[in-house]
Amino acid sequence: MAVSLSYDLLLLLVISSLDWSSTPGSAFLTDHNRMTSSAPVEPHFTECMSRDLETFRCWWSPGTFHNLSSPEELRVFYLKRNSPSSEWKECPEYSHLNRECFFDANHTSIWIPYCLQLRGQNNITYFNEDDCFSVENIVRPDPPVSLNWTLLIVSPSGLSYDVMVSWEPPPSADVSTGWMRIEYEIQYRERNATTWEALETQPHTQQTIYGLQAGTEYEVHIRTKMKGFPKFGDFSDSIFVKVTEIPLRESAVLLTLVLTFGVAGILILIMLIVVSHQQRLMMILLPPVPAPKIKGIDSELLKKGKLEELDFILNGGGLGGLPTYISDYYQDEPWVEFIEVDEEDADCGEKEDQKSSDTQRLLGLPQRSVGCFSADSHPDDDSGRASCYDTDLSEQDTHLLAASLLPGQPEDEEAFLHPDEKAPASETNKSPLIQTESEGKPTWINTDLYAQVSNVMPSGGVVLSPGQQLRIQENTEKESQKKGTLGEDTSKLNKPQFQLLVVDPDGSGYTSEITARQISTPPSSLVPGEGYQTIYPQPMETKPAAPSEPNQSPYILPDSPQTRLFAPVADYTVVQELDTHQSLLLNLPTQQPPPPCLPQHPLKAPVAIGYVTPDLLGNLSS
Amino acid sequence: LKREIKKIISAVWVGIICLVFSSRLSTMKAASICPNDQTGCHLLPLANLFDRVIQHSARMHGISDDLHSEFELYFLPSKNQIGRVSRNCHTSTILTPNGKENAQRIAREELAEIILKLLVAWRDPLWHFHQSMSQHDEFTNFSSNKSLEMSDMVHELRKGVLKVVEKMQMLGIISNSVGDTGSPEALLTSDSAEWRFMKDYDLLYCFRRDSNKIQNYLKILKCRIVPKHGC
Repeated sequence: MAVSLSYDLLLLLVISSLDWSSTPGSAFLTDHNRMTSSAPVEPHFTECMSRDLETFRCWWSPGTFHNLSSPEELRVFYLKRNSPSSEWKECPEYSHLNRECFFDANHTSIWIPYCLQLRGQNNITYFNEDDCFSVENIVRPDPPVSLNWTLLIVSPSGLSYDVMVSWEPPPSADVSTGWMRIEYEIQYRERNATTWEALETQPHTQQTIYGLQAGTEYEVHIRTKMKGFPKFGDFSDSIFVKVTEIPLRESAVLLTLVLTFGVAGILILIMLIVVSHQQRLMMILLPPVPAPKIKGIDSELLKKGKLEELDFILNGGGLGGLPTYISDYYQDEPWVEFIEVDEEDADCGEKEDQKSSDTQRLLGLPQRSVGCFSADSHPDDDSGRASCYDTDLSEQDTHLLAASLLPGQPEDEEAFLHPDEKAPASETNKSPLIQTESEGKPTWINTDLYAQVSNVMPSGGVVLSPGQQLRIQENTEKESQKKGTLGEDTSKLNKPQFQLLVVDPDGSGYTSEITARQISTPPSSLVPGEGYQTIYPQPMETKPAAPSEPNQSPYILPDSPQTRLFAPVADYTVVQELDTHQSLLLNLPTQQPPPPCLPQHPLKAPVAIGYVTPDLLGNLSS
Repeated sequence: LKREIKKIISAVWVGIICLVFSSRLSTMKAASICPNDQTGCHLLPLANLFDRVIQHSARMHGISDDLHSEFELYFLPSKNQIGRVSRNCHTSTILTPNGKENAQRIAREELAEIILKLLVAWRDPLWHFHQSMSQHDEFTNFSSNKSLEMSDMVHELRKGVLKVVEKMQMLGIISNSVGDTGSPEALLTSDSAEWRFMKDYDLLYCFRRDSNKIQNYLKILKCRIVPKHGC
C-alpha cells in the first residue's frame, strides 16, 4: 500500500504540474486571478457564490467571441453529481441582465458537487472541469447590520480610551437554527489613514477596541465568514468613532507625574551626595571626641609609668626639649589642643589681685589671696595645672611663697624681705624693696622670696626650710617691731607671699634632678640662665658680724664652696648679673644662716623647687 | 517539627480539594435544579451536552480543514478531482439530507442515526490514514499529530453523540429505535473495502465534507429539541 501511495503521489505531482500550465478556464473556486491574455477567451463563469448556504448564484461572461450576437444564446446547464446517472439540467432561474443564474433552495443541495457548463448555439459546449464545486465551499455571508459603539472607559490621562462595538448578525444568514456559524472580523483605521487594523476573528456580536486616541476620528467596519471555511463576505458600512479630549485631567496627571519624578530624582541625588561624602559628613555630624592632651605630657608615657622620662621631657632635656617633643608627638594631629596652665583666673581681672599661685593651688594651700578664687575653681591639683611655665606665670607670682609651709607659719607680713641684718639698714633696704614692689611689677630678681623645700609631707604639702633670711627677718622684724615701723612696711608687704618658686626661664616648670645636681655642683659650673642658683650662705659668716654693712657685696665668695655645699641651703637668690670676672652678682650678699639650722637640714644637694621627685625626696629626707 | 508541619499542610490541602470537589458536585446538582423556567428546566443538562458535542464536532471539522489545505499546498490537485472525488467517497452510500429544509423535515431519530452512521464509518479509515501519514517522511509532525487527533476525535464524538441519544431516549424525546450500534457497523463493514483504495487527498476531502455535515446536523438537532437554550 505504501508503494501504491507513493506512486499516486508521484502521479499527482506530474499531473498537477501538467494541468497547472494548461488550465485556461476559470478557477473561481480558489480565487485565482484570471490571466489576461490576448488570445480569444471563450465564454466562462466568473463566479459562483452562496450567501446563506441555501441558495447560490453564478455569473458568466461571454468572452471575446464575437459570433455571439445576443446574450440569450448562451445557456447554463448544471449537473449534480450525487448519483452516477445524473444529467445536465438547465439553469432554473436566469437573470440575463446580470448574466446571472440563480439557484433557489429547491435546486440547491449542500455537500453535493455541482458542475456548470455554458452552451451556445449549435450545442457548442464550453465546459471546464474546474467549475465543479460544493455549495458549502462557496459561501460568503452577508455583512452584519446595525453597528453601533459605546464608550467603555477613558484613561486617567485623558489621552486614550476604549470602545465597545456591537452589531447584529446578517439577516440572510440563519444563525438562530444553527445552520450557519458565522465569525466576525472588525477592522478600524484613522480617518485619513490608508491601512486598516484588523482584530482577531471571533463569533460574538460585540467586541472591544482598546487604545484609541482621544481627539482622532476612527472608521470601523466588519465582515463575516463561515466558521471553518476561508471565504469572507463583503464589508459592512463604516461607522465613525470619536472622543474629544479632556485637557484638564491631562494636565493634572502630567503635573503629578512631573512632581513624583522630580521628588524621586532629588532623593536619588541626596542619596548620592550622602554616599560620596560619607567621611566628611561623619566628621561633621559625629566629630571625634578630643582626648585631653597636656602640653608636654604624652599619655603614652604616663601609661607606661615612666616618670623619669616624663620629668626629663618636662624639664626640657635641655631647654629646648619640650617644644620639639611636642612637635614630634603631635604633629599629625592638628586638632590636639594643649591644656595650658592658666594662672590668670578670669574672675580676677587684675593681675595684681592674684594672691595665690599655681604652687599654692597645687599644694592645696589655703588661698591667701582674696577674691580671686572660688571654691570650685580649682578643685584639685590635677586640674590641668600640672605644668607651670615661666611664660604662664606672671612676675608677681614670684613673690608668693608657700609661707604657710614654713615651720613657723609666718604671717603674710613676714614676707621675705631683703635681708638686712642692719636694722636701720633693713629699713632702708626694705624701702628699695618696697619701692621695687610698689613699682608694680617687682621682678623676682629683686626679691628673695625663695624657700628651700626641706621636706615633702605625705599629704602633699611641701615643707620649706625656714631659711636664713627668715631667721634674719624674724630678727629684723623684732627689731623693727620695736621701732614700730615694721607694721607699716609689713602691711605693705602683704602682697608678697611665700611661694614655691616654680620658675623655669625656658618654660619648664621643674628643675629636674639633673639640674639640681648641676646646681649642687661647684659654682663654676653654674651656667647663666639656669633656673636656680643656690646661693650659698656665704653671707652666713658675715651676717652676724656685719648687719651694718652698707654695701651689700654682691659677690659670692667661691672660696668655700664645700662648706656651702653641705650647709643647709635655705636661701636662694637670683643671679643679678655676671660681672666681668665671670662671677655672679647676687642681690643678697649678707646673709647669715642661723647655725642651729645647719644640723637640722643637712642637705647635700639643693632641692629642686617645685615638685619633688621621689629620688630627690630621698635626698631630702636623708 | 518540619515533618509535622508538612503533614498538617498536606492534610489541609486534601481537605481543601475535597471541599472543592464537593462544592462542585453540589453545584452540579444545583444546576440540574432550575430556579426560574420549570417547563424546559429538565432539558438544561441536555442542552449542555449538546453544546459540548457541537463544540467537539466544530473542532474536528477545523482540524480536517487544516489538513486538507495542507495537502492542497503540497500536492496541487487539478480541479477535475472534485468531480471525480464525489463518486469515490465511501460514505456517499449513506443517505444524508442535503439541505436545511431536508434536515429539518426528517425525524429526529433518523437524524441522530445518520450522525452515528457517519461517525462509525470514519473510524477505521482515519486510523489507517494516520498510520500511513506517520510512515511518510515528507509529512511534518504537525500533520501527523493532527491526523491522530482527528481519529481520536471521531471516537470521542461518537461516544458523546451516543450519550446524547441516551439522554434523549431517557427523557422520552425520541424513541428507542436509535442506537443500535451493531447494525450500522455491520452494514458498513461489508462496503468498507472501498476506502482502502482511496487516496489520501480524496480521503481528506471526503472527511472534511462529512465533518461539516455532522456539525450541521448536530446543530439542527439541538435547535429542534432544545430551542430555548442558545439557538
